[in-house]
Amino acid sequence: MADIVLSEVSKSYGAVSVLERVSMHIKSGEFIVFLGPSGCGKSTLLRMIAGLEEVNDGEIRIGERRVDQLPPGQRGVAMVFQNYALYPHMTVRENMSFGLQNVGTDKAEIGRRVDEAARMLEITALLERRPAQLSGGQRQRVAIGRAIVREPAAFLLDEPLSNLDASLRVRTRVELAQLHQRLKTTMIFVTHDQIEAMTLADRIVVMNNRKIEQIGTPMEVYSRPASRFVAAFVGSPAMNFMPVTALAEQNGRAVVTTGGSVIVTNIASAGLPSGELTFGVRPDALRVAPNGSFSGTIELIERLGDRTLLHVRLLDGSLVVAEDVGKSQLQTGSPVSLAADGDGTHLFDAAGVAYHAD
Amino acid sequence: MSADAIPQSRAIPDRVRRDRAIDVGGLILSAITIVFALAAFFPIYWAVITSFKSESEVIASGLSLWPKRLNIEAYQHIWNNTRIGYWYINSLVTSALITAIVIVSSAGCAYALSQLDFPGRRVIYVLILACFMVPMQALIVNHFVLMAQFKLLNTWPGIILPQLIVPVVIIVYKQFFDSVPKEYREAAQMDSAGPFKILFRIYLPMNWGITSALAIITFIGAWNAFLWPFLAATGEATMTVPVGITQVKDAYGIVYARLMASAVMAGLPVAVVYLLFQRRVTQAIMLSAGVKG
Repeated sequence: MADIVLSEVSKSYGAVSVLERVSMHIKSGEFIVFLGPSGCGKSTLLRMIAGLEEVNDGEIRIGERRVDQLPPGQRGVAMVFQNYALYPHMTVRENMSFGLQNVGTDKAEIGRRVDEAARMLEITALLERRPAQLSGGQRQRVAIGRAIVREPAAFLLDEPLSNLDASLRVRTRVELAQLHQRLKTTMIFVTHDQIEAMTLADRIVVMNNRKIEQIGTPMEVYSRPASRFVAAFVGSPAMNFMPVTALAEQNGRAVVTTGGSVIVTNIASAGLPSGELTFGVRPDALRVAPNGSFSGTIELIERLGDRTLLHVRLLDGSLVVAEDVGKSQLQTGSPVSLAADGDGTHLFDAAGVAYHAD
Repeated sequence: MSADAIPQSRAIPDRVRRDRAIDVGGLILSAITIVFALAAFFPIYWAVITSFKSESEVIASGLSLWPKRLNIEAYQHIWNNTRIGYWYINSLVTSALITAIVIVSSAGCAYALSQLDFPGRRVIYVLILACFMVPMQALIVNHFVLMAQFKLLNTWPGIILPQLIVPVVIIVYKQFFDSVPKEYREAAQMDSAGPFKILFRIYLPMNWGITSALAIITFIGAWNAFLWPFLAATGEATMTVPVGITQVKDAYGIVYARLMASAVMAGLPVAVVYLLFQRRVTQAIMLSAGVKG
């Protein structure tokens, strides 16, 4: 096991830049998730660590070794592909042995590692089958098994759950977390699914438009998003955004006027820029309250069982999503009053930089 | 018929009734197909029965669709008085070597063009496509001069070398390799496999069907090749079967039974290969015609 360090890594295809000066330090044994929308460069970054994409600029180190000029097989990492890429003409055992044969591992040692990985993943009974004879979930395990037998410094997983159905995806997610706890090996996981990112990651790397927006624990990313993009991308339903029409100060805290209401935030007023600001509050910080700051009419109710989402049209015409208890008695068309939790308020400047409640 | 049966028969849907009706169009098409098949088969049949006739029966007037007496004298004569044994060996060795070399080199070339990134890749592919447009006959003089200068005439390498240029095999392989998801190559790269291992352990075994189909049509093409071996092999000892059988005619004048016997013996291995691998041959012809099999 080893740390993975990326320093000022850039990638472009001709004149088209896909990654710009990306740096990060992944600690040994960490579960890191690259999260971002399609085309943000997360898969390219993973493939650059794997050696499947050339690095145009910067360097990648795994442990003490600089690896960005080494071929994929010599980097000491293993990858699980989105479509698994199991060799269809080989049995499961042959699939898992292939990589070890190529580096001249002793036959007995190959057998031992394959059997051990198969036992760990509960695929021993499948070892003599071919991929076509396996279900999606079984193929997934074999793909992980193929990576495990190589005893790599890090596992690179490129959207490995996206081909599974919803229930299997949840089960496999849990198994993957358990596997990481057992192996304690560095895992880098690429996904655009924020639930996968939030549930699996020790730290999430949120990427957008060729750059890293934020690196943080799931709760940091959720509670203290570094930018408006992160605030909008992480969390479901998304954060509510409203333009700030006036800004004042009360006991060192920012008081904003937005949506026709005045809200006292827990954000320090010192250091806030003077230009255009956007107020942000997550639905779970916007609750039904008798004398709340916001007033409006409920347009739509989504009952999720444990909570109820209210789509409320405010007096100034803007639409916000608020949260109520699961057994909410509110009805569509009813007037409602909402209060924002000061600790859950955020402000974003024109460049998208975030300012949070202390 | 019971009274209940009447409404049941009336209830038969139109579609079922149409299926039971005679398909006149189909019948006509079948009849035409059979006529063409018979017309194509008749020369083969005629060659075979002529080879089993005595020469006097062959030149006798009147139509004889079956030999009066099965006579294997023509075959015995060919076997005992010509060097057909050598010709078979020459054909077998040259065809097998051509097949093996064409398959291995074309697969390698196609893999490089399809999967590897190197300068000039597109230009090379265009050149290969251009070679596909040039018939062997147009280059035959160059080949002859080249082989003569290398002193390879009347040798197996002299017969083999010019026949190794089969661009269609490269093109078909490239199309296939292009269609394989790149993740297989990348997974193999992660598994420390080099390009040769990826080609021979992953890409080719993933679909032996294409390789076997291409090998069969290459073998049949090499076995049936006439023009180049006819020029390159002038000594009887180095002739292939199709070239050798021309000697049967030259040495004995027109002896139809022997001529047909030699033709049957020349065509027999190809017929056997075709009958054994009919499906693969059809697939190969469709692939090389640009139609996905």
